[in-house]
This record gives sequence, C-alpha cells and structure tokens, in this order.
Amino acid sequence: MSDLVRRFGGDHPYLTAFALVELVFLALPSLIIFVVSFGSDQIISFPPTDPSITWYASLLQDPEYVQPFVNSVLVATFCTALSIPIGVMTALGLNRYDIRFEHGVQIYLLLPFTVPLVVSGFILLILFGRLGWIGDLWAVGLALTIINIPFMIWSVSSSVNAFDPTLEDAAQSLGAEEIQTFRYVTLPALMPGIISGSLLMFMLALNEFVVSLIITTTATETLPVAIYGAIRGNISPQIAAVSSVYVIIAVVAIVVADRLVGLDRFLHS
Amino acid sequence: MSFREEFHQGRTRVKWRAMDAIIDAKERLPFGSFGGSDRFGYVLISVGVGLVSFLAVGMLLLLWYSFLTFDTIEIFVYEYTLANWVRLGETTAFHTVFSRTLLYSAAVTVGSVGLAIPYAYLVVRTDRTLFRYVLLFGLFVPFFTGVIIRAYGWLIILGKTGLVNWLLASVGVGTVKFIGTPMAMVLGLLQYLLPFAVLMLTPAIASIDPDLERAAKNCGANQWETFRHVVLPLARPGITAATIVTFTLSMANYSIPDLLGGTNSFVANFIYDKIFGTLNYPFAAVLCTVLVIVASVFVFTIFKVYGTGTLGAEVDDR
Repeated sequence: MSDLVRRFGGDHPYLTAFALVELVFLALPSLIIFVVSFGSDQIISFPPTDPSITWYASLLQDPEYVQPFVNSVLVATFCTALSIPIGVMTALGLNRYDIRFEHGVQIYLLLPFTVPLVVSGFILLILFGRLGWIGDLWAVGLALTIINIPFMIWSVSSSVNAFDPTLEDAAQSLGAEEIQTFRYVTLPALMPGIISGSLLMFMLALNEFVVSLIITTTATETLPVAIYGAIRGNISPQIAAVSSVYVIIAVVAIVVADRLVGLDRFLHS
Repeated sequence: MSFREEFHQGRTRVKWRAMDAIIDAKERLPFGSFGGSDRFGYVLISVGVGLVSFLAVGMLLLLWYSFLTFDTIEIFVYEYTLANWVRLGETTAFHTVFSRTLLYSAAVTVGSVGLAIPYAYLVVRTDRTLFRYVLLFGLFVPFFTGVIIRAYGWLIILGKTGLVNWLLASVGVGTVKFIGTPMAMVLGLLQYLLPFAVLMLTPAIASIDPDLERAAKNCGANQWETFRHVVLPLARPGITAATIVTFTLSMANYSIPDLLGGTNSFVANFIYDKIFGTLNYPFAAVLCTVLVIVASVFVFTIFKVYGTGTLGAEVDDR
C-alpha cells in the first residue's frame, strides 16, 4: 500500500492516501451493485453464490421495468432537445447583448437551484394539474428541463465567453450573412459547451428522482421512481441488475464525455 | 464526374438553397438586423426566463394556497384563513423534523466540504495523469448515478445480510443493525454530497497560482502550513459555493432519509406525506414556504458574510 501511495502520490503522500480512501467511499455503493447483480439467490446475501446472469435475463421480460426505462429515455431525450436551443439563446443573450438588470436576470435564472427540489415538485404538481398536463410524458420532460436548465446555460455561457466575437466580424466582412455567420462560425465555436451541457442534462434527467416521484403517474413513471417502488417492496437482486444498467450508462457517459470534450470541461461548468 | 462527387455537389447545392431560403424568410421579419439591436437580446433570453417563471409563478401560487382552507373532500376551498400558519406553530412533530434536518444538514455540509478539499486539491494539482483520471472517474460515476441507485448501494453494504455484516461475521461479531440509524443516513448523505462539493471547489483551487505555494515552501513553510495559510484562504470562494450547494441539497433531500434513515425523516419527507398522505395542500404550502425562506436566508447570510464565492463568479460576465 505504501508503495502504491508513493508511486501515485508524488509530492503529497498523506493527501493521496486520504483521497484513495475517499475514492473507495465514493465508488463502493456503485461497485457493490455490480457484484450483487450476478448472484442467483432470491435475496441479497454476501458473498453472492453461483454467479449467473439470471436477473439480467429476467429484466427483459419484466414490464415493471421495461416501460419505465422507455419513459426515462424519452423524457431525457426531450429534456435535452428542449434545453439546447433555450441554453444557446439565453447564454448568447446574456453574454453578448446589453441587457438591463443583467445581474438580476442571472440571479432569477438560478431559481431552479435555490428552490428545494421537493418544493419545485409540489409547485409543478399544482401548476401542471391546473393546466391538465399531469399524465403527459412530455410534461415530465418539461419539468426536468425547468429544474436543470441552469446547467445548460452555464455550460454554453463558458463557451460564449471563450469565443472571440471578432471572428464573427471577420466572417461578415468576408460577405457572410448573419444566419450564415451563426451557422458556420458561432455555432461550431459553441459546440463544446453544447455537448457537455447536453450530456449533463441527459444524465441528470435520466436519474432525476424527487420531482419525478411527485409528478409522474403509473403511465408516465420513470425508471428511478420504479426502482424506488421496488426497493420499498423487497430488495431482490433484480433491482441490482436494473441499477447496474444505470452504472454502466454512467461509465459510458463519462468515457464519451472524456473523448468528446475532455472531463476537465465539466470541472469548470 | 464520379457519382460520389455529383452526390456531394448536389447536397451542397441543396444546403445553400435552404440557407438562401432561410435568409430570405428572415429578411421579411420586422426586427431588421439581428446583431446590432440590443432589443434582440431580450428576445433571446425571454424563453429561458419564461421557463424559470414556472417556478416563480408557482412560488406565488404556494403563498396563496397557504392561506386557503383545507377541506378533507375538496382538498381546499377558496376561503381565506390563517389556520395553516397557526398550525405551523402548534405542530411539534414538524419542529422536531425541522431541527433534525438543520442539524444533520449542518453536520454533513461541514463533513463533505472538509472531505472535498483534499480531493479537489489533488484533482487539480496531481501531475500523474492516471491518478488524476482515476480521481475524476471516482467523482463522475457517483455524480452520474442517481441518488436512488446509490442509496440502494448503501442498503446492500449496510443491510442485515450485506457486506459489512458479512465482514463482521467473519471476524466473529454478530449482526449489527445499521439501516435506520443516523450513521447510515450520514454516510449516505456524505457520499451523495461529496461529488457536488468537489465540483464546486475545483475551479477555485485551479485558479490558485502554484508559484504562491512554492514561494511559501521557499520561505520555510511545511506542507501543512502551506495548505493552511495559502491554499485554504485562497480557496475560500470555492468553499463558500460548496457550502451553499451542499447545505441546500441536504436540506431538501428526500430519498436518503427515507431509505436509510428509518424514522429520522427530513422536512422533505414530512412535506411529501402532507401532499400525498393527507392531501393537505394548504399546510404543505405553508411548509414549502418555510423551507424556501429558511434556505434563502441561509444563502443570503453566506453571501453577505463571505461574498458570492464561485457561484457569483459563474454568473458574473467575465
């Protein structure tokens, strides 16, 4: 261990050892799900006996999870698709134009973060109820867009700020029309922000729980809500198999994020 | 000309025609030029502002609901009353839950920010690519795995037939009940909040000039002194932001107290129960209003005392 710490740690041996303990603490709950999901017992027990993929196979036939999974993917896709134009417009508007009360607008746009999620859920339950939207899947997507939109605005804003506006002037003085300038100069420059924002929006929507719990009905139930219901019932290893799917998606998303824009980008947005 | 070239040319032609059509359509719009006028900026932000207005309007709606009369059949009737607010003062169960939420949130905020500082520091400063990658991975896997999945992971670790009890049994200790204890809840909350705290801290630590640390060391400071007198003070904007984010997230948490905390429920569980258990919307509206007020007072106090931290830097135009 001390050898490992020295090899990894370099200048900060104690700090490194401490961080490694934290790493285990952070990763253990996700990793343990994997281990358990390959057991074949009816209940969760340690260590799992008879490694098998029984529980994974059973998932495909279980309508209890298939429909919520489809719902979750649809909701997350809708949420991402909706947030891209809104994020780009808001980020450009705030950072490029002279907006009066700009600071106030920025604080207003942080409202989804300052209102506690359970309160947001209740608010949207009442509002959507009055509008007759409860029970519509797109309304769930809209709700998740509302509560997570600051992530998209931040992410695109950082790209807007890193972009040199004189490039637009250059394009226009070379004869490009405004829309052409936007399509072939501005938009490509904002792409890293849009990609990292979209990944965040998609993953957060796929995992969102409290607001979904409050506003979904049986027909629009998303996967985290279904898993929650199952956990409260009995904690069969089948839940571990569904949850593992989530962990796999998370790992894939991180690898994709790293390849496309680099993980560092996410640290600054 | 080969087929491929021809196809490519055709596609380009279609693309440019479409672009021409769009430009044509735009020119008929009443705005005139897009780029020049600041009025267009307001058009751009209006959709985002409108989206967030759902919550602003909803807050006003909640305030209004809190003065309506609860009715067991109709849920509420449109008669104004102060009864719900009076009930707030009389409901001692809520006082217990509320002070528990505040206490635990304060504790796990201190804990997770404290744990996040060394982690964030290493993420920024380590020069070993692999180690850095492993740290980032450890950070983003939980961040991208929902809170329900992670709470379930803790159920497996701490459950009666779980990992810890299996390890305890192998050294001859009997089964210990962890689920439903404050300890399980604190562990769950810490693991939930730690990634957020690290993410809020890294920009602040990244902006510290490494030369300052070298200078401190040259002046004879050891590693701990450098950390204490150079890194910590300069990381304060990040610490402020991390404190605000973790505290508000913890205050409003529903799933961890519900799944790991047993009877140690939080305000969110109490509110949920009022919404779906007794369908008492007016009283739930009172509780929501109180939660929002307390959370806002906390955030504004921190802002006043310590500045806006990196939260402010992020919304400031640079």
